Amino acid sequence: MPDLTITIGGEAGQGVQTIGEVLSRILIRNGFYVFSIQDYHSRIRGGHNSVQVRFSDQPIQAIGTDMDLLVCLNPETQEIHQPALKKDGIMIGTISSTPSPSLPSSMISIHFNEMAKELGNRIFANIIAVGALIEILGIDEKIAELYLEENFQKKGKDIIRLNKEALALGQNEIRRHQISRKFLDKRNGSQNPGNLFIVGGNEALGLGAILAGCTFYSAYPMTPSTGVMNFISSRSKKYGIIVEQAEDEIAAINMAIGASYAGAKAMTATSGGGFCLMAEGLGLAAMTETPIVILDGMRPGPSTGLPTRTSQGDLEFVLSASHDEFPRFVFAPRDPQDAIDTMIRAFNLSDYFQVPVIILSDQYLADSNWTFSQIKVNEQPKNTQTVIGDQNYQRYALTESGISPRALPGMSDALVIADSDEHDEIGHLTEDLELRVQMHQKRMKKIEKMREKTRPPFYKAGKTATIVGWGSTYGVLYEAREKLAKSGVDVGLLHFNDIYPLSKDILTFIKSVPQPVVVEGNYQGQLARLLERETQTPFDCRINRYDGRPFFVNELVNQIREVLS
Amino acid sequence: MSPFRNQIEIAWCPGCGNFNLLTDLSEALSELGLKPSQVVLVSGIGQAAKAPHYIQANVFNGLHGRSIPVAFGIQAVNPELTVIAESGDGCMYGEGGNHLIHAIRRNPNITVIVHDNQVYGLTKGQASPTSETDFVSKTQPLGTVSESFHPIALAISQDVSFVARGFTGDKEGLKSIFKQAIQWKGFSLVDVLQPCVTFNRINTFGWYRDRVYPLPEEYDPEDQVSAFKKSLEWGDKIPLGVIYRHVKSVFSDRIFEKLGRKDFLNPTSNYQTVFEDEKPGFE
Repeated sequence: MPDLTITIGGEAGQGVQTIGEVLSRILIRNGFYVFSIQDYHSRIRGGHNSVQVRFSDQPIQAIGTDMDLLVCLNPETQEIHQPALKKDGIMIGTISSTPSPSLPSSMISIHFNEMAKELGNRIFANIIAVGALIEILGIDEKIAELYLEENFQKKGKDIIRLNKEALALGQNEIRRHQISRKFLDKRNGSQNPGNLFIVGGNEALGLGAILAGCTFYSAYPMTPSTGVMNFISSRSKKYGIIVEQAEDEIAAINMAIGASYAGAKAMTATSGGGFCLMAEGLGLAAMTETPIVILDGMRPGPSTGLPTRTSQGDLEFVLSASHDEFPRFVFAPRDPQDAIDTMIRAFNLSDYFQVPVIILSDQYLADSNWTFSQIKVNEQPKNTQTVIGDQNYQRYALTESGISPRALPGMSDALVIADSDEHDEIGHLTEDLELRVQMHQKRMKKIEKMREKTRPPFYKAGKTATIVGWGSTYGVLYEAREKLAKSGVDVGLLHFNDIYPLSKDILTFIKSVPQPVVVEGNYQGQLARLLERETQTPFDCRINRYDGRPFFVNELVNQIREVLS
Repeated sequence: MSPFRNQIEIAWCPGCGNFNLLTDLSEALSELGLKPSQVVLVSGIGQAAKAPHYIQANVFNGLHGRSIPVAFGIQAVNPELTVIAESGDGCMYGEGGNHLIHAIRRNPNITVIVHDNQVYGLTKGQASPTSETDFVSKTQPLGTVSESFHPIALAISQDVSFVARGFTGDKEGLKSIFKQAIQWKGFSLVDVLQPCVTFNRINTFGWYRDRVYPLPEEYDPEDQVSAFKKSLEWGDKIPLGVIYRHVKSVFSDRIFEKLGRKDFLNPTSNYQTVFEDEKPGFE
C-alpha cells in the first residue's frame, strides 16, 4: 500500500497553501485518502511556511513523518526540510546547485516562477508545480485537468486553458529527467473517484455550529480559531447568522450571553489568551444559567506563546476557569467528522442543562484536513427548550433536576430576570444565605445528570498496555497502536473526546485497563491528573510533548516502546 | 405608581439621587405606553446597577462594566425588545469604557443610562473616572492625579446618534430626556447627574443646582461642532438636555439589509438541507 508524504515549502504568500489544496483535491478525485496540514509562521508575507500532504489508498488519519517528495519554492525550504527527506526521496524546485554528497536524494532544479512568467503571469507557478508533482507520482492527469476546469469555471475559458498549459509545462519539465523511483503502482487509489470528502478542522467546527442552529457568533480574531469565524462569516448571508467582531474577548462572550438570554443559539471562539479574558463571562453564563458554547483553539502558552503552533495545554484551565464552582461540559473532538457532531451535541446539551459547554480544539485539528469516505450528521440538532411563562414565572425555580424552565424575554407576560448576583427563585439578588445554599446545590446537582450524557471514550483493548489520549491526537495514537500491534506489541487505545464530566461507569472502567500510558501535548499530563483525581488511581506513565509540534506516529511508536521496556 | 415599579426592598442610602432616577425612568416607561414584558433592563455592578431589580421588567444584571455588550446581543437577535443598559459611572466609563466606544460605532437601538455621581458608592467612596482632579478619598488621600473623563464630549467626537445630560433634581427635564432617548432609533447615551449623599461631599444636590441650566429652545442639537463645544461646558455652568443627535441607520436595520433577516431566534433552514448544500464543497 502506498503511503507517501509530500512537503511544499516557501515564503508566506508564495502559494504554498494553494499547491497543497489543489494537489489534495486532485488526489481525492483519484481515490486517494489525504491528510494535509499547514505549518505557518505568524506573518502575512515572508517567513517560512509549509504544507504537508500525506496520502494513501487506505484510510489515514495522522500527519506524516519522513518525506518522499519535497517541493522548494525558496532556498530556505531546502535548508529546513531536507533533513527529513527520505534517502530515496526526491526534491524539486529552487534548490542549491551544489548538492551535498552526504545527501543522496535526487534533486531536480525547476524554476517555477520563470516558467510561469513565460506563460504570462507568476500566478501559474503553483499549477506548474502541481503538474510536476502529478508527473513524478504518476497520477492520472485527466482528473487533474477536470479539476482545473471545475475550479476555474467562473474565471473563463482562457484561464482554464492557461492553467492546463501550466499543468502540462510542469509535467513536461519532469519528463525531461530520469526519475529514479516509482512512487505508485497504479494511477488511482482504491476508491471510485468522487467518493471521498476532504474536511478541515475549522471548517467542520463552523459547519457543526451552523447545523446546530447557531445564529449569533461573536468573537475577536485569534489564531488558530479564526478559521471558524471565516467559515461561518462566509455563510452568514446564506443561513442568516449574525457574526460580530467584538472589540475584545470580554465583549465577545458577553454579547453571546446576551443573544442567548434573548433566545438565540450563540457561541464564541478564541484561543487560550482570549479565553483568559472570557473567564469572568464563563462564570456569568454559569450563574445566570444561560446556555453558551465556547470554543478554545489551543496553542502553546503561557501568554502569547507560540501563536501558530499546537498544544493541549488548556485542559486544566478550562476545567476550572472562573471563580468558585459550577458545572460545565468539556469536549475535545478527535477529527473533523467528530467536530461536526460534537458541535451539535454542545449546543443541544448547553441548552438542555443551561450550562456552558467548552470545546477544546487545537492548531493541529484547526489547520489539518482529513479524508473521509463519507461525511454524516450523526447528531440531531434540537430546538431551544423554552416555556411560555405567566406573571408568576420564576426563572430560577428550584426543581429536582436543578434545571429551571426557561422563558425568553418578550415572548409572554413572564418577566425573565437573570442575575449574576446570588439570587432568589425569581432572579432578584439576595443575601439570604440559606437560599444561597439551595441555589448553589441546584446548579451543582445538574452535574450528576450531565455525567449520564457524556459518551464513553473510544476503547480498543490491548494486552500489554493501553495508550491513553484525548482530542485531536486520536489519529496519531490510532496509527501508532496499529504499528505497534503489527510489530507484535499488543497495546490498546483509550481515547477521550468527552472529557468532563465522566460517568461513574466510565471512571470504574478506566481503572481496569492494562498499563495506561497517557500521551498529551502538555508538560504535566493534565488528562492524567484529572483521571487520577477522579478515579483515585495512578496514571503515572506519561509521554508529554510541549514543543508546539503535533505528535508523530514513528516517534511515538519508539517512545511507547521505550516506556514499556 | 407606575406599573414599572415593584415592591422589592431598595438598598440605597436615604436621600440618594438614584431614587428620583428610578421614579422618573419608571414613569417615562409607562408614559411611553410600553408593557413591562417588552422592556429589558441590563445592568452591570454597583449601587446604580441594582436599579433594574426595582423596576418591573425583564432584567439581565450581569458583570461589572459589561452591560453594553449584553444589551447589544439581546437587541441584535430580537430587535422588537426595548433594551436599556443602566449602570454607574465606574461601570460604564471605567470598567466598560471600551464597550461604550464600540457601541457608538455599532449604533444598536439601545439606550445607555449612566448614573453619574462622580464617585464609587458600592466599594465605598473611591474616585471614579468622572471625579474631578484632586478629589480626595481613602484610596486617593492626596487627591486624584488624573483628569476627569468627559463622556458627552467623547460621544459627540465619535458622532454618537444621541446624547443627553439630565439631573435627578430636574424631574420633568429628566423624564423628557428618558422618553426621547428610549424612543430614539439608535444608540442613545444619557449621562445623569445623580448626587451621592454619602461619599461625594463636593458634587452635592446644591452644587449641581447652582450650576445646571436647561439648553435654550434655540439650541441646535444637530450641529456636531457646536454640540461638541457645548459638551465642553462644565464647572460654573452645566447644560442639561439633548446635546447632540444624529439620525443614522441602526445595527439591526443594517443587518436586515445584509442578511435579509431580523429575528434570529430560530435557524433559517433545516439542518439536513444545510448539510446537503455544504457537502459537495468538501468533495
